[in-house]
Amino acid sequence: MDTPKRIYETTFIVNASLDDPQVESVLGRVQETLTKNGGTILSINKWGRKRLAYSINKKTTGFYVNIEFEGPGTLLSLLERSFQLDEMILRSLTITLDRKALAARKAALAQAAQAAQAAQAAQAEPPAAAREPLFDERPEGAKEQP
Amino acid sequence: MMRRMTKRPERPGAPNARRPRRDRDSLAARKKRTCRFCDAKETYIDYKDEKRLQRFVAEQGKIIPKRITGTCAKHQRQLVKAIKRARHLALLPFVSDTIR
Repeated sequence: MDTPKRIYETTFIVNASLDDPQVESVLGRVQETLTKNGGTILSINKWGRKRLAYSINKKTTGFYVNIEFEGPGTLLSLLERSFQLDEMILRSLTITLDRKALAARKAALAQAAQAAQAAQAAQAEPPAAAREPLFDERPEGAKEQP
Repeated sequence: MMRRMTKRPERPGAPNARRPRRDRDSLAARKKRTCRFCDAKETYIDYKDEKRLQRFVAEQGKIIPKRITGTCAKHQRQLVKAIKRARHLALLPFVSDTIR
Protein backbone atom coordinates (compact mmCIF):
# COMPACT_ATOMS: atom_id res chain seq x y z
CA MET A 1 0.00 0.00 0.00
CA ASP A 2 1.36 3.31 -0.96
CA THR A 3 0.56 6.49 0.79
CA PRO A 4 0.80 9.43 -1.58
CA LYS A 5 4.03 11.32 -1.36
CA ARG A 6 3.96 14.96 -0.65
CA ILE A 7 6.53 17.66 -0.20
CA TYR A 8 7.02 18.79 3.36
CA GLU A 9 9.18 21.35 4.96
CA THR A 10 10.57 21.14 8.42
CA THR A 11 12.43 23.76 10.37
CA PHE A 12 14.00 23.01 13.69
CA ILE A 13 16.11 24.80 16.22
CA VAL A 14 19.20 23.06 17.55
CA ASN A 15 20.73 24.08 20.84
CA ALA A 16 23.28 26.70 19.83
CA SER A 17 25.59 26.05 22.75
CA LEU A 18 26.77 22.95 20.92
CA ASP A 19 29.78 23.37 18.68
CA ASP A 20 29.55 22.86 14.96
CA PRO A 21 30.47 19.15 14.74
CA GLN A 22 27.82 18.35 17.33
CA VAL A 23 25.22 20.37 15.44
CA GLU A 24 26.22 18.42 12.35
CA SER A 25 25.69 15.15 14.18
CA VAL A 26 22.18 16.24 15.24
CA LEU A 27 21.50 17.17 11.63
CA GLY A 28 22.88 13.82 10.54
CA ARG A 29 20.48 12.02 12.86
CA VAL A 30 17.55 13.92 11.41
CA GLN A 31 18.67 13.13 7.88
CA GLU A 32 18.96 9.49 8.80
CA THR A 33 15.42 9.43 10.22
CA LEU A 34 14.18 10.95 7.01
CA THR A 35 15.99 8.73 4.55
CA LYS A 36 15.51 5.50 6.51
CA ASN A 37 11.77 5.90 6.58
CA GLY A 38 11.09 6.40 2.93
CA GLY A 39 11.78 10.09 2.60
CA THR A 40 14.01 11.87 0.16
CA ILE A 41 15.69 15.09 1.10
CA LEU A 42 15.26 17.82 -1.47
CA SER A 43 17.22 20.58 0.15
CA ILE A 44 18.91 21.45 3.40
CA ASN A 45 19.20 25.04 4.35
CA LYS A 46 21.24 26.00 7.37
CA TRP A 47 20.33 29.45 8.59
CA GLY A 48 22.96 29.25 11.30
CA ARG A 49 22.87 30.74 14.76
CA LYS A 50 20.13 33.25 15.30
CA ARG A 51 18.77 35.10 18.26
CA LEU A 52 15.45 33.74 19.40
CA ALA A 53 12.60 36.19 19.70
CA TYR A 54 11.91 34.78 23.13
CA SER A 55 13.80 32.34 25.30
CA ILE A 56 13.12 28.62 24.89
CA ASN A 57 14.36 26.42 27.72
CA LYS A 58 16.25 29.45 29.06
CA LYS A 59 18.22 29.76 25.83
CA THR A 60 18.35 32.92 23.79
CA THR A 61 20.06 31.69 20.65
CA GLY A 62 19.48 28.73 18.42
CA PHE A 63 20.87 27.09 15.33
CA TYR A 64 18.17 26.98 12.68
CA VAL A 65 17.98 24.28 10.04
CA ASN A 66 15.37 24.06 7.32
CA ILE A 67 14.89 20.85 5.36
CA GLU A 68 12.60 20.26 2.43
CA PHE A 69 11.76 16.64 1.84
CA GLU A 70 9.42 14.38 0.06
CA GLY A 71 7.90 11.33 1.64
CA PRO A 72 4.88 9.40 2.79
CA GLY A 73 2.64 10.87 5.48
CA THR A 74 3.62 8.15 7.91
CA LEU A 75 7.08 9.62 8.01
CA LEU A 76 5.85 12.73 9.77
CA SER A 77 4.86 11.10 13.04
CA LEU A 78 8.22 9.36 13.19
CA LEU A 79 10.03 12.58 12.50
CA GLU A 80 8.05 14.54 15.08
CA ARG A 81 8.71 11.85 17.63
CA SER A 82 12.43 11.92 16.98
CA PHE A 83 12.34 15.69 17.42
CA GLN A 84 10.56 15.30 20.73
CA LEU A 85 13.07 12.76 21.98
CA ASP A 86 16.13 14.69 20.95
CA GLU A 87 17.04 16.98 23.80
CA MET A 88 19.27 19.07 21.61
CA ILE A 89 16.36 20.16 19.46
CA LEU A 90 14.58 23.04 21.08
CA ARG A 91 11.70 23.50 18.70
CA SER A 92 10.49 22.22 15.38
CA LEU A 93 7.82 22.99 12.84
CA THR A 94 6.83 20.70 10.01
CA ILE A 95 4.41 21.88 7.38
CA THR A 96 2.93 20.38 4.27
CA LEU A 97 3.62 22.54 1.28
CA ASP A 98 0.22 23.35 -0.20
CA ARG A 99 -0.51 24.32 -3.74
CA LYS A 100 0.41 27.96 -3.29
CA ALA A 101 3.57 27.16 -1.41
CA LEU A 102 4.60 24.69 -4.07
CA ALA A 103 4.07 27.29 -6.76
CA ALA A 104 6.15 29.78 -4.80
CA ARG A 105 8.85 27.16 -4.28
CA LYS A 106 8.93 26.34 -7.95
CA ALA A 107 9.24 30.00 -8.87
CA ALA A 108 12.04 30.47 -6.35
CA LEU A 109 13.90 27.45 -7.66
CA ALA A 110 13.57 28.65 -11.24
CA GLN A 111 14.85 32.05 -10.24
CA ALA A 112 17.77 30.54 -8.35
CA ALA A 113 18.66 28.37 -11.32
CA GLN A 114 18.55 31.37 -13.59
CA ALA A 115 20.70 33.39 -11.22
CA ALA A 116 23.20 30.55 -10.97
CA GLN A 117 23.32 30.29 -14.71
CA ALA A 118 23.85 34.01 -15.07
CA ALA A 119 26.59 33.93 -12.44
CA GLN A 120 28.25 31.05 -14.19
CA ALA A 121 28.08 32.80 -17.52
CA ALA A 122 29.48 35.97 -15.99
CA GLN A 123 32.27 34.00 -14.39
CA ALA A 124 33.09 32.11 -17.55
CA GLU A 125 33.15 35.15 -19.81
CA PRO A 126 35.83 37.52 -18.47
CA PRO A 127 38.73 35.08 -18.05
CA ALA A 128 38.22 33.69 -21.55
CA ALA A 129 38.39 37.17 -22.97
CA ALA A 130 41.25 38.28 -20.75
CA ARG A 131 43.82 35.65 -21.59
CA GLU A 132 45.05 34.35 -24.90
CA PRO A 133 43.96 30.82 -25.57
CA LEU A 134 46.85 28.43 -24.91
CA PHE A 135 45.57 26.09 -27.57
CA ASP A 136 42.51 25.77 -29.71
CA GLU A 137 39.90 25.51 -26.95
CA ARG A 138 36.90 25.27 -29.20
CA PRO A 139 35.02 22.02 -29.13
CA GLU A 140 35.91 19.40 -31.70
CA GLY A 141 33.16 20.23 -34.16
CA ALA A 142 33.81 23.96 -34.13
CA LYS A 143 37.48 23.76 -35.15
CA GLU A 144 36.84 23.73 -38.85
CA GLN A 145 35.72 27.34 -38.91
CA PRO A 146 38.54 29.92 -38.82
CA MET B 1 -25.25 48.69 10.93
CA MET B 2 -23.88 49.48 14.32
CA ARG B 3 -24.72 52.88 15.57
CA ARG B 4 -23.18 54.50 18.55
CA MET B 5 -25.95 54.25 21.11
CA THR B 6 -24.58 56.50 23.77
CA LYS B 7 -24.40 60.14 23.05
CA ARG B 8 -21.03 61.75 22.87
CA PRO B 9 -20.32 63.76 25.97
CA GLU B 10 -20.85 67.42 25.42
CA ARG B 11 -17.60 69.18 24.96
CA PRO B 12 -17.34 72.85 25.69
CA GLY B 13 -17.03 74.86 22.57
CA ALA B 14 -17.60 71.93 20.29
CA PRO B 15 -21.23 70.92 20.06
CA ASN B 16 -21.71 67.39 18.79
CA ALA B 17 -23.92 68.34 15.92
CA ARG B 18 -21.22 70.54 14.55
CA ARG B 19 -18.58 67.90 14.61
CA PRO B 20 -17.10 68.05 11.14
CA ARG B 21 -17.64 64.61 9.66
CA ARG B 22 -16.15 65.70 6.43
CA ASP B 23 -12.67 65.52 7.88
CA ARG B 24 -12.91 61.86 8.60
CA ASP B 25 -14.39 61.06 5.22
CA SER B 26 -11.85 62.98 3.27
CA LEU B 27 -9.09 61.40 5.27
CA ALA B 28 -10.41 57.99 4.42
CA ALA B 29 -10.66 58.97 0.80
CA ARG B 30 -7.10 60.20 0.75
CA LYS B 31 -5.62 57.23 2.51
CA LYS B 32 -7.00 54.63 0.18
CA ARG B 33 -5.00 51.59 1.14
CA THR B 34 -4.46 48.63 -1.06
CA CYS B 35 -3.34 45.17 -0.15
CA ARG B 36 0.43 45.06 -0.42
CA PHE B 37 0.42 41.41 -1.27
CA CYS B 38 -2.08 41.92 -4.07
CA ASP B 39 0.00 44.80 -5.39
CA ALA B 40 3.06 42.60 -5.44
CA LYS B 41 1.02 39.76 -6.98
CA GLU B 42 2.08 37.59 -4.12
CA THR B 43 0.50 34.16 -3.90
CA TYR B 44 2.23 32.71 -0.88
CA ILE B 45 3.25 34.39 2.34
CA ASP B 46 6.25 32.65 3.80
CA TYR B 47 6.69 32.29 7.55
CA LYS B 48 10.47 32.34 7.10
CA ASP B 49 10.43 35.88 5.83
CA GLU B 50 10.43 37.45 9.26
CA LYS B 51 11.50 40.90 8.10
CA ARG B 52 8.43 41.23 6.00
CA LEU B 53 6.13 39.80 8.65
CA GLN B 54 7.49 42.26 11.15
CA ARG B 55 5.78 45.08 9.34
CA PHE B 56 2.41 43.53 10.07
CA VAL B 57 3.05 43.13 13.75
CA ALA B 58 2.68 45.95 16.25
CA GLU B 59 5.51 46.91 18.54
CA GLN B 60 4.01 44.77 21.26
CA GLY B 61 4.00 41.79 18.96
CA LYS B 62 0.30 41.91 18.17
CA ILE B 63 -0.94 41.22 14.68
CA ILE B 64 -2.17 44.46 13.15
CA PRO B 65 -5.79 44.22 11.94
CA LYS B 66 -6.41 44.40 8.25
CA ARG B 67 -8.57 47.48 8.61
CA ILE B 68 -5.39 49.34 9.50
CA THR B 69 -2.90 47.74 7.14
CA GLY B 70 -5.36 47.49 4.27
CA THR B 71 -4.51 43.87 3.55
CA CYS B 72 -7.28 41.99 1.77
CA ALA B 73 -9.09 39.20 3.57
CA LYS B 74 -7.48 36.48 1.52
CA HIS B 75 -3.97 37.62 2.25
CA GLN B 76 -4.70 38.51 5.85
CA ARG B 77 -5.64 34.90 6.52
CA GLN B 78 -2.37 33.72 5.02
CA LEU B 79 -0.47 36.40 6.82
CA VAL B 80 -1.91 35.41 10.18
CA LYS B 81 -0.94 31.83 9.59
CA ALA B 82 2.58 32.83 8.62
CA ILE B 83 2.95 35.04 11.68
CA LYS B 84 1.78 32.30 13.99
CA ARG B 85 4.21 29.84 12.46
CA ALA B 86 7.01 32.33 12.79
CA ARG B 87 6.10 32.82 16.43
CA HIS B 88 6.30 29.13 17.08
CA LEU B 89 9.84 29.10 15.75
CA ALA B 90 10.80 32.13 17.81
CA LEU B 91 11.31 34.22 14.69
CA LEU B 92 8.72 36.66 15.97
CA PRO B 93 7.82 37.36 19.56
CA PHE B 94 4.47 36.52 21.12
CA VAL B 95 4.98 39.48 23.40
CA SER B 96 7.75 41.94 22.79
CA ASP B 97 10.58 42.30 25.28
CA THR B 98 9.90 45.96 25.80
CA ILE B 99 6.44 45.18 27.12
CA ARG B 100 7.60 42.38 29.38
